[in-house]
Amino acid sequence: MQSRPAPQPGLTFEYLMWLFIRISGLGLYLVALVGVTAALVMGARTQLDMGTLIRWTFFPNSGHVANAGVDLELGWVSLLWQIMQGMAVVFGVTHGMNGLRNILEDFISNKGTRLVVRVIIILLWILFLYAAFTLVLSDTL
Amino acid sequence: MEITLKVFRYNPEKDAKWHYETYVIEGQPTDRVLDLLEYVKGYIDGTLSFRRSCAHGVCGSDAMRINGRNRLACKALVRDVGTKITVEPLIGLKVIKDLIVDMEPFFDNYKKILPFLINETPPPADGKERYQSPEDRAIFDDTTKCILCACCTTSCPSFWANDDYVGPAAIVNAHRFIFDSRDEAANERLKVLNSMFGVYRCHTIFNCTEACPREIQVTKAIGEVKMAILRGKIK
Repeated sequence: MQSRPAPQPGLTFEYLMWLFIRISGLGLYLVALVGVTAALVMGARTQLDMGTLIRWTFFPNSGHVANAGVDLELGWVSLLWQIMQGMAVVFGVTHGMNGLRNILEDFISNKGTRLVVRVIIILLWILFLYAAFTLVLSDTL
Repeated sequence: MEITLKVFRYNPEKDAKWHYETYVIEGQPTDRVLDLLEYVKGYIDGTLSFRRSCAHGVCGSDAMRINGRNRLACKALVRDVGTKITVEPLIGLKVIKDLIVDMEPFFDNYKKILPFLINETPPPADGKERYQSPEDRAIFDDTTKCILCACCTTSCPSFWANDDYVGPAAIVNAHRFIFDSRDEAANERLKVLNSMFGVYRCHTIFNCTEACPREIQVTKAIGEVKMAILRGKIK
């Protein structure tokens, strides 16, 4: 069958978030894969246990490494890892908060209630991002 | 063999609340649940109410919850469901009486997706039919099998939570026309399905596929509609 004229259903909020959820899900896998691989290459094989390694991968605050009693190296706190950390935080928080919104809105048909729930979720989303990035930015050494 | 049939009963004119009644009757492994209900209605309690029409799995009237699973009573055999059988109305729709539910919200959602062929192009000059290749027909063959029994939609937690969601049956019927090479209104249908209460309320849990008495791959059809929205083309 030949492709027929392209439908133009329009870019709706639901469509964009549906797409984001899939991309961010894959993005989180990518960040984790790169994080674990790089950590192992940088010495985690001998200096970190599995729990610490996973904590560092998903939230590579140098405190995790410090708590593990490992000497800090520049590699743990460089701009690259702060970007990776930022991506993990943005993808993770937004993915999770949108999932929460999606599930809650399954049960809400009233427009006013939906608006209130959305505002609360957006505020929580901002709070989580602010808290996470405050930790990231304070981790400058 | 002895069969214990437990039936959901509710008469809004008499009952303050619903209740179950249990009937112990004789039956055969090859009896259908519909036969048991007919027996109860004919010989034990004529007030038992349920929908039925063709009684051969085509009209979709006698969809109900049998042992916790949506089925057509005319297709559920005793040998498949056991001798202890609980029959309840479909959930997610208001009970009118006993096993009869109000299907209006279901059909309201069905109407939203324009469930009819739309083609503004003049018919061929010879006045004959608009041709379609077997390959083109095969693309939406599965979704033509829908009998609108509501088994899928009323097995969907998103629909239980909110009947504004168009539901799997409406999406299946939209699929039937969106992917029909003779139809020209895919845009309108996809606009309806690209909204808050369209395909995005589907969380891919496959209850609908499990429930469909016609064995339509409902979740797959919903996925194909999502992909049509994503890719901006129908293939």
